[in-house]
Amino acid sequence: MRRSRTWTLILAAGLAFFVALVGLPFWWVVSGSFKLPQEIIARVPTMIPRSFTWQHYDRLLSSSDYGTYLVNSLIVSSLSALITLMLAIPAGYAFFRLRFRGREALYRAILLAYAFPSIVVLIPLFTMFARMGLVDTRLSLVIVNVAFALPFAIWMLRSFFGSIPKEIEEAARLDGGPPLTVLWRIMIPLTAPGIAAVAIFAFVTSWTEYVFASVMILSDARRTIPVGFSGIIGQYQVDWGLLLAGASLAVVPVVIVFALIGRWFVTGLTEGAVK
Amino acid sequence: MAVTELRQVEKSFGAVRVIEPLDLTVQSGEFVVIVGPSGCGKSTLLRMVAGLEEASGGSIAIGGVDVTRKEPSERGVAMVFQTYALYPHMTVRQNMAFGLEMAGIARSEREERVLKAARTLRLEDYLDRKPRQLSGGQRQRVAIGRTIVREPKLFLFDEPLSNLDAELRVQMRLEIAKLHRTLDATILYVTHDQVEAMTLATRIVVLREGRIEQIGSPGALYADPDNTFVAGFIGSPKMNLLPCRISGRDDADRALVDVPALGLKRYRVRLRDPSAALPQTGTFGVRPEDFVATGGDGPADLTLACELVENLGSSVFLYNAASRDDAVVAELPRGTHPAPGDAIGFRICESTCYLFGDKGGRL
Repeated sequence: MRRSRTWTLILAAGLAFFVALVGLPFWWVVSGSFKLPQEIIARVPTMIPRSFTWQHYDRLLSSSDYGTYLVNSLIVSSLSALITLMLAIPAGYAFFRLRFRGREALYRAILLAYAFPSIVVLIPLFTMFARMGLVDTRLSLVIVNVAFALPFAIWMLRSFFGSIPKEIEEAARLDGGPPLTVLWRIMIPLTAPGIAAVAIFAFVTSWTEYVFASVMILSDARRTIPVGFSGIIGQYQVDWGLLLAGASLAVVPVVIVFALIGRWFVTGLTEGAVK
Repeated sequence: MAVTELRQVEKSFGAVRVIEPLDLTVQSGEFVVIVGPSGCGKSTLLRMVAGLEEASGGSIAIGGVDVTRKEPSERGVAMVFQTYALYPHMTVRQNMAFGLEMAGIARSEREERVLKAARTLRLEDYLDRKPRQLSGGQRQRVAIGRTIVREPKLFLFDEPLSNLDAELRVQMRLEIAKLHRTLDATILYVTHDQVEAMTLATRIVVLREGRIEQIGSPGALYADPDNTFVAGFIGSPKMNLLPCRISGRDDADRALVDVPALGLKRYRVRLRDPSAALPQTGTFGVRPEDFVATGGDGPADLTLACELVENLGSSVFLYNAASRDDAVVAELPRGTHPAPGDAIGFRICESTCYLFGDKGGRL
């Protein structure tokens, strides 16, 4: 089917609009982090930088605890993503495979975790963690992050398991694979895109989590980026250069995670299995 | 190899019974084909033997061992699926060796058995390829290879050729027949294609709505069907089944029938059970290939007006009224080219005509 020239133009314009909508703020943050302070706060913002400097990054890394926050965030987010996967994969598989009373009800109920604003559970959770001596530990953040990422992860993985032709699993059962071997050797490799998506989801939600990190962590040495960073940029006046450099740097690990895991997002994994 | 015995095996999904209690014995080395239309329960039956579906009642024994409640892998069966069901992320070699690995067989023996199976199936050159790099026929051969290496007591095939194109289907059919001979395997095979059943089976089980209609050798089912369903299902094109009136019987205990669609009056048909009581109406059956065109020599039993001719090259079929329910199909000698409207005289033979009662059972 051929599109008319007008339509092509309209589509291109529409596409350009949305690219700009998403890309421009991002570009402004990243390019701004290399501008001199005067240019950042100039009345007319510049899209193409006229100056170039490393000074914001220099200050960020040398005279603040940004490096410590970065490491804390990396530890908390990686552990959260890992534990989420370790729990969600067997749970999702169980919801998909096992037939037990109340399965559907339970499957729907787990999403209730998202019905409560985090602020509602914050206070009771803080009291519980305080009794267990978990306040001001990175472990407390990992527990909270896993708890919040898990329901969605289970939901998503169950539907990924469901998309695998059932004959493949049946063939594995006939081949004598015990359930955990079938899960490990057959089902996990075939649901790699789903697992990658869940890993990224869990990593990013932990990476950006603010509310619990601001309450559970008391000492500066255990702060994660969102909380630690909000302290750096100044309580009374905003240091824009520092803010932009910190924001740009905070994106880097997420981009790296995407790049590493992204190659798992390949379609047609089950190609050749059936038909 | 071992005998497989199904005793009063039945299956219900909730209130819906898909398999009526049935008995079936597959002898060692036999090639039994279960054939029937879609939804007749044939795949369910096979899956119950495999252990992928639990029987609602009855028992299944393989090699004298009751396996009714056993896991699929403990039954000594291997199955080829319609959709191949290969592990897409594994190579052909890994696909074939997976079952052996699960059974705890040593690497060297695994390797040996895979190579042997690959040689039998001409897959040696493809052992390190992934399923997506193979053609449909090759994939199906890998699926078969995966079952051979396990040396099961019973091979199960669930419509293994339905996903292949016509030419490949014929080729794979021959390969499966050859495999059955060379491996001396016991095979339970499900298909909806009566040609596959006729060419492969040592015994055919015709299934309809979860009930066995008839069990017998391909020859017996073709020549001596128990009812109109089997008569119509086996053979292609299907048997002409035409309403008839039964006017009585002659001195030799043959039924005398009037078949309006063929213009036959008081035609003599042999009865399977000469002493059986005869109803007033029934169904008269004659296969298209049992019509013999007289070509003007001698008297004809009946005359058919040609409305449509199907020329398949090797054979020619005449249809007298393609749109009507009681249309008659008759085979013509190769090379005959009647024009529409031509009247052709045929002879039929009483030994190849069948009479069925008004409920469809053979008389």
